Amino acid sequence: MVLELQKPRPIWQIMFSTHHTDVGLLYLIMSLGFLFLGGALALAIRAELFLPGAQIIGDAMTFNRIFTVHGTTLIFLFIIPFASSVGNYFVPIMVRYKDMAYPKLNAIAFWMIPPAGALIWLGFADFTWYATPPYSIISAPGPAADMWIFGLKILGVSSVLGAINFIVTILKCKHPDMSIGQVPLLAWSFLSSSLIILVAIPTFAAALLMLLTDRLGVTGFFNPAMGGDPIAYAHLFWFTFHPEVYVLVIPAIGMMYEIIPRFSRKPIYSFNSGIFAFVLLSIVGFSSWAHHMYATGMSFTEKTVFMVGTLAAVPASAMHVYNFIATMWNGRIKFSTPMMWSVGGIALFFSAGAGGVANAAMPLDFTTHDTYWVVGHFHLFVMGTIAFGSIGFLYYMYPYVTGRMYNEAMGKIHFILSFVGTILVFFTQHVLGLYGMPRRIFDYPPIPEWIAMNQIASIGAMVIGVSMVVFLVNMIHSAGKGEPANPEDPFGVGGKYYYPFEAKNPSH
Amino acid sequence: MKGIVGLFLVLAVMVIVPAVEYAFAAGDEPGEYLDRRVIIWNLFFRMMTIAFVVGAVVSGTMIWQVWRFRESHPKAKPTPYEGTDW
Repeated sequence: MVLELQKPRPIWQIMFSTHHTDVGLLYLIMSLGFLFLGGALALAIRAELFLPGAQIIGDAMTFNRIFTVHGTTLIFLFIIPFASSVGNYFVPIMVRYKDMAYPKLNAIAFWMIPPAGALIWLGFADFTWYATPPYSIISAPGPAADMWIFGLKILGVSSVLGAINFIVTILKCKHPDMSIGQVPLLAWSFLSSSLIILVAIPTFAAALLMLLTDRLGVTGFFNPAMGGDPIAYAHLFWFTFHPEVYVLVIPAIGMMYEIIPRFSRKPIYSFNSGIFAFVLLSIVGFSSWAHHMYATGMSFTEKTVFMVGTLAAVPASAMHVYNFIATMWNGRIKFSTPMMWSVGGIALFFSAGAGGVANAAMPLDFTTHDTYWVVGHFHLFVMGTIAFGSIGFLYYMYPYVTGRMYNEAMGKIHFILSFVGTILVFFTQHVLGLYGMPRRIFDYPPIPEWIAMNQIASIGAMVIGVSMVVFLVNMIHSAGKGEPANPEDPFGVGGKYYYPFEAKNPSH
Repeated sequence: MKGIVGLFLVLAVMVIVPAVEYAFAAGDEPGEYLDRRVIIWNLFFRMMTIAFVVGAVVSGTMIWQVWRFRESHPKAKPTPYEGTDW
């Protein structure tokens, strides 16, 4: 256990450490910082859309800048670093190794993120997290756009370094007595997502370079005036970022695989099907990228292929859901805060998946393309599944990190408010999309249904905002004043805490 | 669990049979053809029907089991694994 708060050390000892729990702590603190920054931008967006016309944000370009940095921050600077934090803390312990395979590389991968975050935040680009060409190459103002491109480039390198480290740690450094089939599902989730990163990220790295040289006027890969094709960028982008969705969601599901058996007081129903579903998701993730591009004039055959490829993810996702349900069946479930977040996450994962099936079907995709349906669907995954799984796991690892217990009542209030707020915002956005409201707009016509639904969504966002204040107070207050945790069984579910106090790897 | 697996199999057949049907729908007679728009909408409505049925079953199951298997339920009993080193 880290227990920095009980045995204080100079902060520089943590900052310049290469020990996996120290690097994990750095990832954790930084990712939570960006969660609150990105969340504040979300509240600004929802406040602006509460009514038609300009409200609190002066002009459309500022609005574009805000939602660009909001999306970039929460995906690349919260979700991925948070998963890296969990992986740093637990993967070496799970494979019974003293540290990550390459500790210095691990620290370097972390320290690449703050400058990348600074580039993104100081630039405040305006071309969406997709860096929409040809706007991004012809008229997006610099240096903001260039800073965003360099920031993403650095984050990509950091992700690849981290992925290499996880793969080598799991495959080559696991204890000789441990077969790969005995590696816990959380570690399997990191193995799967790391393999996806290795395959997917280089494509976007190339696209970023092409985007940059296009902006410099040296090339015209995506510039129609120079014979280029913006659709080519769409292919390169989505070849990386549809699998990237699985990079985000697979570790969150792995976290649920830790929590649900523990609080159901039963082993996981089918360990092997969990592994199989992770591997299957990793493969089929690459067969569905063009479903983002049905409206770009693809042939019927191409669309059919990608529709089937997308639907291939359904069995793998369903295997996880059934595995969770079967694990809870006949259990004696203790609904502590981590379990509430996990069960809520499964319910919203299922809802988001159902919306995804509708998206994958060509007819409805044309109806919903570029509407708020897409915003609702994507956010239901990212917030409802990935953030719920991650925050649940944060509560689960809290005693491990701090040696203290968080306030259980505040944790439950946090969950209830977030769950209600998430449904209010993102379910409503699905309907808003069916009513035809386009995404990424600063202003909208005063259609009564649009106004009403935007107001419901904005109130939901405020509810989530309040829940995050409860969360912040709970985390900070409990870290110093919380009840000392029972290191053997902090949640009172019987048996030992999965990774007990003694499991902490010694510094080296 | 057998019930859930059985339901899943039934729903899988409901998806597969229409898809196979389309493959042979054109027939051998000249002049017969497929209207892809009609077919794809038809497939979509079938998919949505199945999605809502599955959604209701899964969501209902989850809500029920969260209520039934909570530790404070009067019929809750220790699992066979409690007290062991699983």
